[in-house]
Amino acid sequence: MTSAPARSAPPALLPGMQVLERGWLSSNNVLFEEGDRLSVVDTGYASHARLTAALIDRAGGGRRLARIVNTHLHSDHVGGNARLARGGGVSIRIPAGAADAVLAWDVERLGYRATGQRCPRFDFDGLFRSGDVMELGGRPWQALAAPGHDPHMLMLFQRQGRILVSGDALWEDGFGAIFPELEGEPGLADQRRTLDLIAGMKPLLVIPGHGAPFCEVDAALRRAYQRLDALQSSPQRNARHVLKVLVKFWLLQVGQTTLGRLVEHFSRARYPRIVHERYFPDLAYEAMFERTLWQLCASGAAVRDGSHFRNADGGAAR
Amino acid sequence: MTADRVPSPCNSVCKLDQGGAYCVGCLRTLDEIAGWSAFDDERRRGIWKQLRQRRALAGQAPCERPR
Repeated sequence: MTSAPARSAPPALLPGMQVLERGWLSSNNVLFEEGDRLSVVDTGYASHARLTAALIDRAGGGRRLARIVNTHLHSDHVGGNARLARGGGVSIRIPAGAADAVLAWDVERLGYRATGQRCPRFDFDGLFRSGDVMELGGRPWQALAAPGHDPHMLMLFQRQGRILVSGDALWEDGFGAIFPELEGEPGLADQRRTLDLIAGMKPLLVIPGHGAPFCEVDAALRRAYQRLDALQSSPQRNARHVLKVLVKFWLLQVGQTTLGRLVEHFSRARYPRIVHERYFPDLAYEAMFERTLWQLCASGAAVRDGSHFRNADGGAAR
Repeated sequence: MTADRVPSPCNSVCKLDQGGAYCVGCLRTLDEIAGWSAFDDERRRGIWKQLRQRRALAGQAPCERPR
């Protein structure tokens, strides 16, 4: 690696490129200026769409949003698509692997029912695949398959500048929950190959789907491999982690919940059902969620307040 | 880790106020949210200080108070 920049200064991006750093419920939005137009990579969660639209307007300085590109179809990355495109004149490009599910708006395959999340329907105009090169902000970005968190996820790599838009394949501290593994698909093994791919590309700057852009890529990869080793060491551990992520995501949406409301919300969600049946069959469904809530409290990601559990800012469980 | 940089004030509320000027969750303006990742730590600390002031002011005017 080249010498790290001073920690108090933000990493340098390419001219005409901006990262709108969001939180954990909404993904980051990566903006590219293209003449009097704009492209954006990922659009955040549906309930935040009004703010997302206003931010893009403001940051775009009068340029018109003309194109949306999505790294994957999870609700926190495509939730703003419908609103941003509703005025017309905005094309949407998605990873080719998700095309059939989006065409049919199959909320089961898209994972929205499985996770208990919501996402307004949208139509796509174009597809992209691993290896494709697309121009963003006047520069070529290559799409790279990044299965693990989502089997169809694509990252975008700018080879000359060695800048990686990593989606949820690599964050500064971790990566997105490995949902496919729950259903017996090779999610963890895929994630390892994806990390190997990133390591081989030696990016100088990573723009993650969540959290701040970072240059200390080797350290981030070390943490990611450690976390992956831990998850692979025990299937229960990955299952527990997925459950924590889903409950935290729900807490971020509603602010606070009772155990009863939480169990009701997830009563038909496929992933928690699988976690229950395959990994914790000895526990009652409700008891499994109660344990998850206490685990979030123990890490500072939630606090108990009488019969309610409130969202708290500590210990981001993702 | 970002621990040694000034962290984002985002608390995932991400709801625009009625006038369309700021987020009712973190009380940052659109420019302060959009520009955050490009600001150095000095500027970030300045915004955090202003946010504390805005919170105090909001406390005196309940109708402006974020939920």
